[in-house]
Amino acid sequence: MRKNVIKLLARQLWQDAFRSKVMLIASALMLFLLLFSAYSGYENYHDQNFTRDEIQHEVQESWENNPDKHPHRMSHYGSFALRLKHVLSVFDLGMENFVGNAVFLEAHKQNTVNFSEASMSTGLLRFGEVSLAMLLKVIVPLLIFYLGFATIAQERENGTLKLLIGQGITRKEIVFGKWIGLWSLSLIFLISIFLVLLLFVLLESHNSMLTDSFLRYLVLLISYFLFFGILSAITILVSAFSATAKGALVKLLGIWLLFVIIVPKSLQAMGFYLYPTPSKIEMETAVEHDLIELGDSHNPDDPHFKALKDSVLLANKVTDVNDLPFNYGGFVMSKGEELSAEVYLEHQEGLYEVYHKQNNLERYSAFINPYSAIKNLSMAFSGTDFQSFLHFKDEAETYRFKLAQDMNQLQMDFIPNKGKEGPNTISSDYWKEFPPFQYHFLSIREVLKNELTSLIALLLWSILSVFGLLKLSTNLKAI
Amino acid sequence: MYSLLFKSFFRTKIFLVSLVLLMSVGVISIFIGKQYLVKQEKTIAAAEVFQEESIKKNIEYHSEDLGLLLYYLRFTLIKKPENISAISIGQSDVNPLMQAVTIRALEAQKYDTDFENPSLLMSGNLDLGFVIIYLFPLVLIAMTFNLYSEEKELGTWRILAAQTSGKAGFLFKKMAVRILFVFVVLIVLMFLASTILQISMSANFWAIFLQSILYLLFWSALCFWMVSLLKNSSFNALALISIWVVLTILIPALVNNYVINTYQVPEALDAMVEQRDGYHEKWDMEKGATMTEFTKAYPEYKSYPVPEDEFSWIWYYGMQFMGDFAAKETSTEMMEKVMLRNTVSEKVALFVPTMHAQLSFNNLAKTDMMSHSAFLKALTKFHEDLRLGFYTKIFENKPADSVDWSTHHVKFYTSKRDVNWIYLMLPTVLITMLIGIFAAINLRKL
Repeated sequence: MRKNVIKLLARQLWQDAFRSKVMLIASALMLFLLLFSAYSGYENYHDQNFTRDEIQHEVQESWENNPDKHPHRMSHYGSFALRLKHVLSVFDLGMENFVGNAVFLEAHKQNTVNFSEASMSTGLLRFGEVSLAMLLKVIVPLLIFYLGFATIAQERENGTLKLLIGQGITRKEIVFGKWIGLWSLSLIFLISIFLVLLLFVLLESHNSMLTDSFLRYLVLLISYFLFFGILSAITILVSAFSATAKGALVKLLGIWLLFVIIVPKSLQAMGFYLYPTPSKIEMETAVEHDLIELGDSHNPDDPHFKALKDSVLLANKVTDVNDLPFNYGGFVMSKGEELSAEVYLEHQEGLYEVYHKQNNLERYSAFINPYSAIKNLSMAFSGTDFQSFLHFKDEAETYRFKLAQDMNQLQMDFIPNKGKEGPNTISSDYWKEFPPFQYHFLSIREVLKNELTSLIALLLWSILSVFGLLKLSTNLKAI
Repeated sequence: MYSLLFKSFFRTKIFLVSLVLLMSVGVISIFIGKQYLVKQEKTIAAAEVFQEESIKKNIEYHSEDLGLLLYYLRFTLIKKPENISAISIGQSDVNPLMQAVTIRALEAQKYDTDFENPSLLMSGNLDLGFVIIYLFPLVLIAMTFNLYSEEKELGTWRILAAQTSGKAGFLFKKMAVRILFVFVVLIVLMFLASTILQISMSANFWAIFLQSILYLLFWSALCFWMVSLLKNSSFNALALISIWVVLTILIPALVNNYVINTYQVPEALDAMVEQRDGYHEKWDMEKGATMTEFTKAYPEYKSYPVPEDEFSWIWYYGMQFMGDFAAKETSTEMMEKVMLRNTVSEKVALFVPTMHAQLSFNNLAKTDMMSHSAFLKALTKFHEDLRLGFYTKIFENKPADSVDWSTHHVKFYTSKRDVNWIYLMLPTVLITMLIGIFAAINLRKL
């Protein structure tokens, strides 16, 4: 392959593209969409995080300002965890608006994460949302197909392909020249969007986060770079194997509809159909049932708690719980909290297991649909996928559990047993010692691990694309 | 003439592909709707058992103390499922079907969600509404984009032009055959849906049906207009798909982004905190701070004593009431904002048939935000009725058996809304007619 010939062919494709109306309209539309989605994405990110950060502080302040009281009252006073958005959510909204944003954390009870944007929206949300990533995932592929469907098919129809070959240009040079031309053309959109994104990453990442955000940014950039290469290769291949340009266009449009709209949605629906999930009330019933089996702290004759009591009495060599050196009520509650949290999390784990099965159908389709690969990668590295949400939920639950148990410990240590002398409240200084809720995003290592399937699929597609183009180079029909 | 056109249409590849695609995806979507209904039924059955058993179990432990018993007991209000919802599942997967509430502060319980897989919420339900709004137009485009250009490109147009008197009439008839086919598929799917999902033939069902017909007429007019420009096949395909992308993806998504950003709802989070503080801070205040507002709202409980130095249930439930009271204003503002989002979306939708179709499907299937907000209102009323029903007995420290528990099974809420036919039909009819006129003008030149 001669470099200058390939360059020439690629430049030819650029010239043709810029002469056509499609490129003009597409560029104008993309510019408008880029500005709109960058603005609305940033506004959303900024305003939401501002509000949530403010409320999180308020919550901590009011926690610390509580007067002296019984620690168990504090564990019912509880706290809130508010989900912060990752700066890259400006790029890809992912599930951002479909998962909850705030959860009330109190003793004895795992509350749901509420107030998702979806729960406050109209039916329009189902049409999807415009984001920078959506432009790259959904709109640009269509543009690549528009700009590239005619490349080889049209030249063959016009008879110019025969001329090119007659002039001594090899088939390989034609195929790769066209491919590189189309791919580089699509990179105009990629680069302009990623330049805007870079600005946000640099602007909004604080020192500790910068490296992480930047690495995420790089993975996203490389993934989309490969994705466009794959799409360009598909375009060239379809164009080369179609008798007419019109036929190539119709085929490519069909591929776009199937891969971007119909297949992902159908597979997600199918996953849901194949693996039904319980409703909340069903799960709550099951949790309660299991808890009663294990030990019911309300029931004075419950064997589990009776045995616990006997062993505590024996260990401390007393006959009455009120003679124990610690507050017995606090002790029972801390054991109860341990038990109920364990049972609840076990059931929740089971539920997420089913969700994963539901999602896996679509996830594994990445091997036949490159769009699925990029969709999952893009969400994950933007911190807006399901795993990121679960990570928040885990952190909130850990905090809740610690809050309840610390308060139980304070009760055990400082609150006298029934009938004993002593104050029924403890100093408010203890509240200030309890640290505020702080959310940490998933580390990039974790994200990489979660998205291994999608990464492998994308790489396989890249290899397959080059392989396909090489194959085409040997048997491209000139007429 | 028509029989020949039908025959030649039936011989095309696209006819078979369309038929298989629409029928298979359509039937799948109906079964997805069926599964949605089955899940609702199961949930309701579980809720009934849950409530009955939890009342029974808790009475066992707390029969002496009604105040404590009612601290635990949860009472369920269920939005009565309607089979028509299965056609357009809309927002009903995001918003829960039911809420099981204690008589403590409602604000902390009202917005609890059900469990749903967020990936599924994001990709949306593959319901019949989706098939009608997204797939039917695509099929129409696929069948009509080369209505004229194909004949021209194959060279058959000149023969045809020589043989027929009305060339525009011929194109129109060719178009009519395809529209008729799409309508037949639609009617078959609607019929299947009504039998498989057991939907009663209410005004809402017919309204959805009519809206679908109009919506498809709109797309037919659009395709016909594109044909009337007499461009080549590639141009038509490219232009029509672009229009489809703009109408079903870009414009609705742009409007949605705009609405979400313009009317942000930080009130939701504020109300959540206000409710907790409004209740909890009362523990550390003198009882008057609670009782003044409580007895102002419910003067009938003024005569019950509230001892200053010890716990009493009237004070406790008064404090709970204060939680809701503190959040009331912000909570109302929140719902107003949500409704504003709804109103703005609906207004814009009047000019965009895809959005109008989706929103009116959800409206007619009672799966939209309006329907959920009405449910939340009913829940507030349900909660108040519960409280007022129990207050006297709690405050008089009656035992658990003073209440007739057999009347406290799960309750259902049914909504009523009339179909506004003009509002529903007129926007699409007008837009369709306008496009039709443009197409007719173009074809005059033929």
